[in-house]
Amino acid sequence: MRERDTTVEGTGRRASPRVRRERFKDFLCVAPALAFFAVFVYYPLVDLFRIGFTNWNLIRDEYKYVGLKNYKWLFKGSGLDTWLASLKVTFSYTFWEIVITLVGGILLAALFNREGRVFAAMRSIVFMPKYIAISTSAIVFMWILNDQYGFLNYVLGAFGVGPVAWLNSERTALTSVLILTGWRVVGYGMMIYLSAMKGISRDYYEAAELDGAGALKRFRHITLPLLSPTTLFLFVTTFIASMKVFQSIDVMTAGGPYESTNVMVYWIYDLAFVQFRVDRAAVVASVFFVILLAFTAATMKISNKSVHYDS
Amino acid sequence: MTNQALAANVRARRLRAAATVLQYALAIAIVLIVVFPLYWMIISSLKTSEELLQAVPSLWPAQFRWRNYADALAMAPFGRYFFNTVVMTVGIMGLQLVIGSFAAYGFAKGQFPGRDALFIVVLGALMIPIQVTFVPIYGMVAKLHWINTFAGLIVPHAVSAYMIFLLRQTFKSVDDSFLEAARLEGMGRVGVIFRILVPMCKPTMMTVGIISFIDGWNAYFWPKMVTTTSFRRTIAQGVYELKRSYAGLETMNQNQIMAGAVMAVVPIVVLFVVLQKYILSGFSKAASK
Repeated sequence: MRERDTTVEGTGRRASPRVRRERFKDFLCVAPALAFFAVFVYYPLVDLFRIGFTNWNLIRDEYKYVGLKNYKWLFKGSGLDTWLASLKVTFSYTFWEIVITLVGGILLAALFNREGRVFAAMRSIVFMPKYIAISTSAIVFMWILNDQYGFLNYVLGAFGVGPVAWLNSERTALTSVLILTGWRVVGYGMMIYLSAMKGISRDYYEAAELDGAGALKRFRHITLPLLSPTTLFLFVTTFIASMKVFQSIDVMTAGGPYESTNVMVYWIYDLAFVQFRVDRAAVVASVFFVILLAFTAATMKISNKSVHYDS
Repeated sequence: MTNQALAANVRARRLRAAATVLQYALAIAIVLIVVFPLYWMIISSLKTSEELLQAVPSLWPAQFRWRNYADALAMAPFGRYFFNTVVMTVGIMGLQLVIGSFAAYGFAKGQFPGRDALFIVVLGALMIPIQVTFVPIYGMVAKLHWINTFAGLIVPHAVSAYMIFLLRQTFKSVDDSFLEAARLEGMGRVGVIFRILVPMCKPTMMTVGIISFIDGWNAYFWPKMVTTTSFRRTIAQGVYELKRSYAGLETMNQNQIMAGAVMAVVPIVVLFVVLQKYILSGFSKAASK
């Protein structure tokens, strides 16, 4: 390849024109991607905060700057109650999706951790739902959860339970959505844990067995701690993904009943495209972005101290 | 061996056999629960409306009504949805792979000032999802008259920071001597990337390509924002649109709605079964980084 002109770096001498041309060509390779991120990621983020200070809506074309009016609406005005309720639903959805992914994932990983083609096939089946469009699975689950003709209420009825109103009751709507979520994500958690478990050296287990540690003890004291980087990875990625939940809500509940499933992204969408209050949508989205960023940063910071790394 | 040791040995073996049986039983139970919704979808799609709504649901259709599929196709333009989805998905995948390969090469093997700082800019994009920025992006796309167009569906997803991240890791692991040899033979950057790096990293390229394809196929959020008519809607929206087209009569037409769901699910299940080894290796890679 071209010579690595390390002497030039640091000595302050100007690189030869040939070297500079090569560097420029290397830069050109990343330029399209950078231009894309500038136009479709970073500029919209800046624009989002700007729109929050205007009174733009989708009905009028012209708008003016109104200062903190939209922020006042959110923090002190009529938006506050909805915002707090939406935050609560979003976090509670996220909490349960994380629990299902981590706890369900590790339990299934322990259960399906067996050699052979039968288990390999079964693992693939448990993992597959993640790759089916959420909107389509949501419609199938709505049929299963139908209060009158649904299969789930039929089964519960056989045990003398119900009928449960599932998606039609504010008490059970979020649970109904989480049933779909559980079906989708638990196999993913399992697969991530299983691939990490493969990487744990047998030596640990053999040493522990010689010391007389039983299967549960080995799981508790070897597997779990050595999986903590994986748990962190799953925690952070599931957190970011589930805070953005939209598809299942849009199809199954449209935020209802009585805003009981009005998660943040659904609310932003509703403000912008149903109520045409783009200005308010922008403020809610801006604040949501700050919350996401703060939580992710905090998680990374805390976990850096408490995660076990093998070797 | 003493009798006592023999007895202990037998007991241990029985215990292990019991544990194995229990493991199989639990695993099979879980598989059945996971498969059930898909089974129910298929079974419901073949029932008559009367059978669909009977008090005790049947686990197997008494009478197969294949016409549900034809009826579903008559209610919603599934052909159109499939066409739109294929064009959008292939467009996104192609752009992501080409632009991503160039960028990954630049960040893995290139030499230019500010390279690592700019890579942080790429990673930062992972923290800014379209679910946060869709309002301004929508404004931009509307100004370009891209609503209800393939450009509107494809371009905002044309580059994936995640893919650049994974490809960069893989390209880094290729020894420089291969690239130097290619350069000595007079190969330019494009040749080095697409005739040396990409073929050498074929498994990763396959994996990221397939994941991009599946993500595109299932994309819902942005296609919903940028399409207003069924003319450019995609299959992930299609079943929902089908359901809505029965306005008020959804329950008695669940068989047709489920037929639509089957048509939407089958391609992706086939793809998953055929290509699962790439999908699986893909995210064990992701998890270990």
